[in-house]
Amino acid sequence: MPEQPLDYFLADKPGAELTHSLIAEASRTLRRNRNEYLATLGNEQIISKLVEVANLWRSPDYPLRQMALDADPEETGFPREVLAAGLDACFADWTQEKFFMLLTQEFGDPTRLQSFASQPNRTYSMVNSPPLIAHIAPGNLPVPVFQSIAFGLLLRSAQFVKCASGKSLLTRLFGHSLHFVEPGMAATLEIAEWDGGNESLESALFAEAYCVTVNGGDKTVESIRQRLPLAKTLVGYGHRVSFGYVEKQANEVMGTQTVISHAADDIVAWNQHGCLSPHVIYVEENGSLNPARFAEMLAVELEARNETMPRGPVSTREAAAISTARRFYKIRAANNAGAMLWESEDSTDWTVVHEDERQFQSSPLNRFIFVKPIEHIDEALHVLEPIRESVSTVGLAASEARMRDLALPLARWGVPRICPLGQMQRPPLAWRHDGRPPLGELIRWANLETA
Amino acid sequence: MTNFTSLTEACDAVSAFIQRCAGDPNADGFGELALGLFVFQFAHNTPFSNLCQAENLTPETVGDWRDIPTVQTRAFKSLDLSVLPEADRETLFRSSGTTPVDRSRHFHCAETLTVYHASLWPWFAGHLVDESANRLLFLVPALGQAPESSLVHMMDIVAKRLTKREHCFAADGQWRIDCQSAVDFLHDCATQNEPVTILGTAFSFVHLLDYLDTEGIDFQLPSGSAAMETGGYKGRSREMPRPKLHQAITAKLGVASGRIICEYGMCELSSQAYDGKLGQANAAPRLFRFPPWARARVVSPETLADVELGQSGLLQVVDLANVGSALSLQTEDLARRHADGFELLSRVELTESRGCSLMNLTHA
Repeated sequence: MPEQPLDYFLADKPGAELTHSLIAEASRTLRRNRNEYLATLGNEQIISKLVEVANLWRSPDYPLRQMALDADPEETGFPREVLAAGLDACFADWTQEKFFMLLTQEFGDPTRLQSFASQPNRTYSMVNSPPLIAHIAPGNLPVPVFQSIAFGLLLRSAQFVKCASGKSLLTRLFGHSLHFVEPGMAATLEIAEWDGGNESLESALFAEAYCVTVNGGDKTVESIRQRLPLAKTLVGYGHRVSFGYVEKQANEVMGTQTVISHAADDIVAWNQHGCLSPHVIYVEENGSLNPARFAEMLAVELEARNETMPRGPVSTREAAAISTARRFYKIRAANNAGAMLWESEDSTDWTVVHEDERQFQSSPLNRFIFVKPIEHIDEALHVLEPIRESVSTVGLAASEARMRDLALPLARWGVPRICPLGQMQRPPLAWRHDGRPPLGELIRWANLETA
Repeated sequence: MTNFTSLTEACDAVSAFIQRCAGDPNADGFGELALGLFVFQFAHNTPFSNLCQAENLTPETVGDWRDIPTVQTRAFKSLDLSVLPEADRETLFRSSGTTPVDRSRHFHCAETLTVYHASLWPWFAGHLVDESANRLLFLVPALGQAPESSLVHMMDIVAKRLTKREHCFAADGQWRIDCQSAVDFLHDCATQNEPVTILGTAFSFVHLLDYLDTEGIDFQLPSGSAAMETGGYKGRSREMPRPKLHQAITAKLGVASGRIICEYGMCELSSQAYDGKLGQANAAPRLFRFPPWARARVVSPETLADVELGQSGLLQVVDLANVGSALSLQTEDLARRHADGFELLSRVELTESRGCSLMNLTHA
């Protein structure tokens, strides 16, 4: 499979004319399929199929995986090696155990998805899933969409995934693998693409859906919030930024090269796209690893990574942002104005800027990283105040004991996710995106109180 | 190679070249003059010479004007890129911005300002002055109210050069349009059948057009009227795509679309580009052209080499009129290269674009 061209989802049919009534009709069909089949399945059945899909995607010779890796990077957003590593990291976590852990984390007792389960004080509760979820897929990474679809299936919800024009390939390939493994489940999934903001199509979708999830820019989330009827649930994830933090003794405990290597892992993962990738790595001063030396070693590591996992071509706009930032830091570096720069030759493949200025700095991405010295965590939290509301993930390099010491002030300050450096783009399946429950926000509870 | 022993000598040589170009747009000498200025700036502009040394592109190693190291326009925000001793920095042009660190600093003295004037006037006149003796409505502050704006300085020179024409500066020091004065002036032009040229930033035009909308006023300005619009919003008004803005200027003011000219300039440059000439039909796409003493290049952001015709890249400008600062600049604009000019595409997005407006009004 599949020798014939992909032809199942709306997005498979180039030139198919989407209309308000077509979207409405497709949504109703999805709901009907869900009621007749998906809603009758047990947790084990659904999870075993999801694990089967993940196992297919992890096989190097799986045809759909190969199609994804062979696709034009312009279509997928990533060159082969970067995409392969990202897919492997995602699907490695799709195990039966982890899916059940997710259900337990969210609902206490996974049987609540099908019937009442007891709570203290002679009350019972069960989960009421939305019959149809609409997902507005992000344009940058494919993985969050795969997870959203898996979560929707766990809830036994029909799902309509709206992708940006020309950006649906990976989502469709994933959908086709589901169709291959379990056509009944795939019959509750539709994938279509159009440019965001199409009022006619989106009003049809929003009218039919019970819950809308949005991963995207703050403007996209806000625009949908304004157009969504009050009774509908909106689960919106806007723009967030992340950074790394290297504690001053980390290199003594972990080995300098390991710390450098972990930092590089986070920079090359998905070429820094997505909210979990670091823009800046703060390195504590007064340790045995000087921040400028850290930057220099990181540059060497990024050059080596570019051999094994090339960044690949980027758009003129992206390259221009890198080139502009480089040119700016180059003259500052030449004037000893508190900046040093290391860069790939004759390309924008990777860039490391060491800058004394401690304020958070947004990177132009695509393997452009700032390394900044910092005295201690309190100073970091002080200079990061302007982005306090926007932080997603902090990747820490520290001994286990120091990690706990550092995590507490970070968490109290508002950081929703703290993980080891090197794992920033590999959140566990059950992670709480922006500190919010992955399934809990999609559902409603039904309570039964007995005498 | 020309070796300048003083700023006066360098300024005089550039002014003479500009004058020569007026008679002969293909006048020889651009490369030699550029290299001469490079040597001069290398000797007197310390932040620039530090850059050149770091890149090993010095007068000893550079033999082609295309190899002169470019200065990122953004660097004017944090470094004093000037050949002038501090005591001689009489005039300061700053880009707009909310805090001092957001604003570029371009220093001038009387001599470099003379070159600036010599550069701006003939190219402005060649594009925006024709046989209709238009009145002038400036949607910018008068010089006394915004002395650090290069655009205001330029408009002041235009007003002085066209001193016989009636004019009005209709904005205050905060760039707020005095809409009533503007409307009174336009009304007078209309009733007297005097064509008028309206000059301003995109956001000033939006403010004026919004006011006309609110008040229900439509002008049909006399034939021969014109508009010069220079880009940038900087969050001062809602943003309109350029074609829409031009349509609105035609619809609300009655300025013929062929008589709306865009200017491309910035405080870090001393020459300007225009995308059309009054009285000449504009073909699509509209191409910007600098005068012969400033040359634009579109380079690949990956390799910084010239892109092929039809390809897009970063816009660099080598402006001989930048005698007192740095002549070779890398802008934050993306452009497409054409045989006879460049098409302006968009700004480089320097930080995560989602949720942020990064349009930068560098000229005002």
